[in-house]
Amino acid sequence: MPGAYVWRRLLYGLITLFIIMTVNFVIFRIMPGDPISLVISPEFTPEMRQLLMKQFGLDQPLPTQYVLYLKNMLTFNFGRSFYDRQPVLDELLDRLPNTLMLLGTAFVLNVFIGITLGLQMAAKQGTRLETAITGISLFLNAMPAFFVGLVLLLIFGYYWPIFPIRGTMSVPPPTEFWDIVVDRIHHLVLPVAAVVLSGYGSWYLYTRNNIVGALTQDYILTARAKGLTNREVLYRHAFRSVLPPIVTLVFLSLPGLITGAVITEQIFSLYGVGRYLIEATLRHDYPVVQGAFFIIALAVLICNFLADLVYGLVDPRIRLR
Amino acid sequence: MSKKKTRRRSAWREVWSEFLRSPRGVFGLVLFLIFLFIGLAASWLTPYDPVTDRSLAAAMARPAWMRLFPKYKDAPVTVDVFLLRNWHVAERENVEIDWREREGADVMVITSTGEGGGRLVLEHKFEYDAGAPDVFILELPYAFSGAAGVTGQARITLETPAGDTYRLFESRVLRNEQRWTVQRVDSRDLQLKMRLGFQPFANVAKELFGERGEYRLVAEFEMTGASEAGTATFTVGESRFRIPGQLHGLLGTDHLGADLWSQFVYGTRTSLLIGFIVAIIAVFVGTLVGIVSGYLGGWVDELLMRIVDVMISIPFLPIMIVVVAIVGQSIEALVFLVAIFSWMSVARLVRSQTLTLRERTFVEAARAAGARPGYIMRAHILPNVLGLVFASLVLLIPSAILTEATMSFLGFGDPTVPTWGRMLQNAKSFGAFTALAWWWILPPGLALTLLALAFVFMGNTLDDILNRRNGER
Repeated sequence: MPGAYVWRRLLYGLITLFIIMTVNFVIFRIMPGDPISLVISPEFTPEMRQLLMKQFGLDQPLPTQYVLYLKNMLTFNFGRSFYDRQPVLDELLDRLPNTLMLLGTAFVLNVFIGITLGLQMAAKQGTRLETAITGISLFLNAMPAFFVGLVLLLIFGYYWPIFPIRGTMSVPPPTEFWDIVVDRIHHLVLPVAAVVLSGYGSWYLYTRNNIVGALTQDYILTARAKGLTNREVLYRHAFRSVLPPIVTLVFLSLPGLITGAVITEQIFSLYGVGRYLIEATLRHDYPVVQGAFFIIALAVLICNFLADLVYGLVDPRIRLR
Repeated sequence: MSKKKTRRRSAWREVWSEFLRSPRGVFGLVLFLIFLFIGLAASWLTPYDPVTDRSLAAAMARPAWMRLFPKYKDAPVTVDVFLLRNWHVAERENVEIDWREREGADVMVITSTGEGGGRLVLEHKFEYDAGAPDVFILELPYAFSGAAGVTGQARITLETPAGDTYRLFESRVLRNEQRWTVQRVDSRDLQLKMRLGFQPFANVAKELFGERGEYRLVAEFEMTGASEAGTATFTVGESRFRIPGQLHGLLGTDHLGADLWSQFVYGTRTSLLIGFIVAIIAVFVGTLVGIVSGYLGGWVDELLMRIVDVMISIPFLPIMIVVVAIVGQSIEALVFLVAIFSWMSVARLVRSQTLTLRERTFVEAARAAGARPGYIMRAHILPNVLGLVFASLVLLIPSAILTEATMSFLGFGDPTVPTWGRMLQNAKSFGAFTALAWWWILPPGLALTLLALAFVFMGNTLDDILNRRNGER
């Protein structure tokens, strides 16, 4: 019954979300000091203090606070930033498109380059080119993601200053539509390259290893015997057989990618959610920390859920269990 | 029992010899041993403290070996000699040399023997083969005590390759007691310039070290007195002569003129230590959970595996950032947190292995003989999953190291502990990029990469060997 499987995964996802929220609630309250100072900056006006006190129920006992907290989180009411006093949700929504753009582009390129290269090199297994590319991929894969970013920044941002070193847009921003597009892309090149270079390796290695394994199977021999070209054998037969695990992996890799975006945004000073989380943490802007963390956690959980769904779709054994 | 043990030992030996036959595994092992050596020998490889020693050379000085390139062949190179153990006795008249300790540091005690005076001349020769420096600094901590009627005097002289001599320091004639003083000779000191006969704006360091060749530092301790006057003593502490250069050490310096090689070396130690501690904790917890979950099954299994599911899906870096921000930035908190988020994969692996072991005949036999679950898990399951556990230990270490480095890089590391991640964070925050200070940016990152590769090579080789052996059985 596919329905039962989906519901069960959804239930697990919700339980995880609940646990994350609870942990979040608890760690912010076991901290020594006044819990009120976590939500309300001492610099706020008395009226704003009153309003926030009521919204977060800080004058209530802990259980009531907890319920209110859950309600606030689920309705995305994260309070106001200590730093600029703006509602946290507005700030997050303002940054979200930039993060999604980085993630989306990097993700598509990652999967595309990794899988295509993996397929091509699997067919050329043992050649000098394949050995070189596999070696480079292994090396890049072992490199910490942030270091890949730093090296790119050093070479293409400072040594040959062909790409901007920080930000998502020039200051002042261009006015024409196409200029804006070009400017954005120009700013995105290095961050995306950083994520792709440190991420495509696992895709490449996974695809290559699986295809190499598949190419030794009997049905490939049959396909060749039928007189199919190498290309047809590769794409129509070998690739199709390894497609299910790869599709699953696509979704399983999403949470890691989100974490990677946090680091990349910090390195290239992008105006995104991940850097917002880091900056807020460093300046003890607790409402923002909670809000940004919640959004990231939610995104990761949704990706996990999607991975489970797709896994169930491509692998019938799971669904029937 | 003993027979069983020998069989197990020979199995390990077989795995080991098979490991040594794999070039990939050996390469990883050698790489790892190099880092292990650097980490263990840290305090022997560098005289500096990675956190507190600063202004050793110019800010962002390039590595000393850069003088091999024409562009830097005339740049001054750092000279930094700790003289106490590097002195050679040149002349010695009626004195005894003794070693003692003062405030935890070694001191040389020079006592005149017999009546009247004595004289000790110490020398240190060194080669200076670089451009003229801007500054040199000499420090000589010493004390004097003598019987009535005995006087003492200390002098320091520099001899250039051309044979010129310069009196860098001459104490007054000391009588009775001279308390512990640290005599500092700085080439920028106006009195020194006047005494040596230079103009007030002259660069003495440039004048004195303008040539390339062998220089000679001479320290002279003289004690004189009437023949019946008694003895006198000079106590000399760690003296240090240094020229802060534009080129410095193996890896150059950072924005504060601190030695990057020492940061690198101590960073290696921290990284390895963190990697091992985290991996051992994680593997311990993971193995325990895996065996219990796999062997007992039922609701225990269900509960533990759900916990694993939840833990795996928690976004790990963001939650670490949040928690560290709240509990404070300490190395213990970091180790603990990384370990908490690392054991799940081991638990899953061990559980699946336990599931197959549980059905094997020897376990069934033990169960039939009335063995308790606790005993079976300990005596039958655990030894058979150890190989797997070891392989995952090796694979967990690099990811723990990388996680710590990432946290430190983002600014959530322990500020008192030198790590590779912190080096990179400093490089990013203090202008290494604008200055194109590649000698600051590349070494920690490449080291992280190579160390990770070393563990991946070793872990994968082990994994392959164990899988092959399991397949054969």
